[in-house]
Amino acid sequence: MTPRTSDFTAAFLRSFAVQGSWNYRTMIGGGVAYALLPLLQRIHAGNPVALKESIERHSSAFNAHPYLTPVAIGAFARMEHDGHDAATIERFRAALRGPLGALGDQAVWAGWRPFCTLGATIAFCLGLDPRLAALAFVLVYNAAHLALRVWGLRAGWAHGLDVGRVLKGSPLKAVGARLVPINEALLGTVMVLLLARAPDLVASPTLGGVVATVSLGAFFLPGRAGTVAILALFASCAVWLLP
Amino acid sequence: MTGLELTPGSWILVTALGALLGLDAIAWPQTMISRPIVAGMLGGALFGAPGSGFLAGAWLELVAARHPPFGGARYPETGPAALIAGAAFALSDTRSILPLMAAVLAGWTIGWVGMHAIASLRAYNARLIGDPEVVRGDAAEIARRHRLAIRLDGLRAAALTGTLFVPAVLAVRWLETWGGDPGPASLSVGLAAVGLAALGGVAARVLGGRRQAWPAFVAGGLAGLLLAWWSA
Repeated sequence: MTPRTSDFTAAFLRSFAVQGSWNYRTMIGGGVAYALLPLLQRIHAGNPVALKESIERHSSAFNAHPYLTPVAIGAFARMEHDGHDAATIERFRAALRGPLGALGDQAVWAGWRPFCTLGATIAFCLGLDPRLAALAFVLVYNAAHLALRVWGLRAGWAHGLDVGRVLKGSPLKAVGARLVPINEALLGTVMVLLLARAPDLVASPTLGGVVATVSLGAFFLPGRAGTVAILALFASCAVWLLP
Repeated sequence: MTGLELTPGSWILVTALGALLGLDAIAWPQTMISRPIVAGMLGGALFGAPGSGFLAGAWLELVAARHPPFGGARYPETGPAALIAGAAFALSDTRSILPLMAAVLAGWTIGWVGMHAIASLRAYNARLIGDPEVVRGDAAEIARRHRLAIRLDGLRAAALTGTLFVPAVLAVRWLETWGGDPGPASLSVGLAAVGLAALGGVAARVLGGRRQAWPAFVAGGLAGLLLAWWSA
């Protein structure tokens, strides 16, 4: 049977919990099966053996960016609906993992999320009420988040096995590539604005020179610079406490 | 510890919020209210100082930016950590740089504790739902076990927040009382600035990944100088 709108709505809502049982054996496999259940139960209504086999298939190892998992959910449901054989579905599952992870990491984790957090931080440093800055971040960030999930489920169901072509033609990769250099600039801005807002700090040319040298040094030699940064913060407290 | 008003009600509220924020990052629903700027602001707002909480969260945001969650990477938990850091800084007497650094470091430490707790839960989840022999294609069993894993994650985050909130707040206030006033431009303040500068440089490199992108980072820093001068 063809799933109803209510089944898609249930699968969409369940997709928010797709990482709920993340584990080192099947990663989000259990979560994908959980989100797919409303669709699989409709597609295989009256055929408990086919339903059981499809649940076993989709609870096996799988991983993807959580916001792009609806693409996989829609596509898997379409393939089950269209009667593809188990071997084809297994191969498709394996092939889809890499692109869904890489695209989401680049577009969301390296692009959209830092862009929104840094933008909100700059707005706060420039005087926006902290509650409004945080609220603006949540609203703007999640507008794209929700749109991506809705698009993904629709695209997955509409294209099934061919969804890879849709992913290749989507602007996600380009969005990520464009946002990354912007985020690097925003990070520089946030760093300076946070220093300007730091309590007790008095700006001086010497301090400015040290900060510029250290930040560029950390940029070019990031290997241990993160650890050095944390140690500097610990040292800041320790020096304060010295008699 | 004069002037500190921590009631059982506020502890329960912080613990419940910590559970929600801990769930948000991974298990459900990833709306990113668990990001340090939001969680820190909420922690500060609970004690009447959302701006202080946001500031602590913004520092933690730079700390967290070093650990992007690519693939199955392990990274420090941000929600409960920033909530506690924001609250601890808001509850400090002076809100000077010492309690800010202490709150940020408390948040950093709690984040790593949270990460190890998440790793343990993921190992348990492998037995709970990751074994095909246990689930056997049973729809009801999959749903039951998946929901149980989500509830366990909420309990984990609540336990983390409830256990570490009061010690973190007391530690920050104790350091503040012991430390006194270093005065501006002291070595301590300079070290905090060096730490932030290094965090900014590493975060920019980790996010972009290319050495050639340094002009964008420098241009951003110069724009920051202009904005700081303009808004002063």
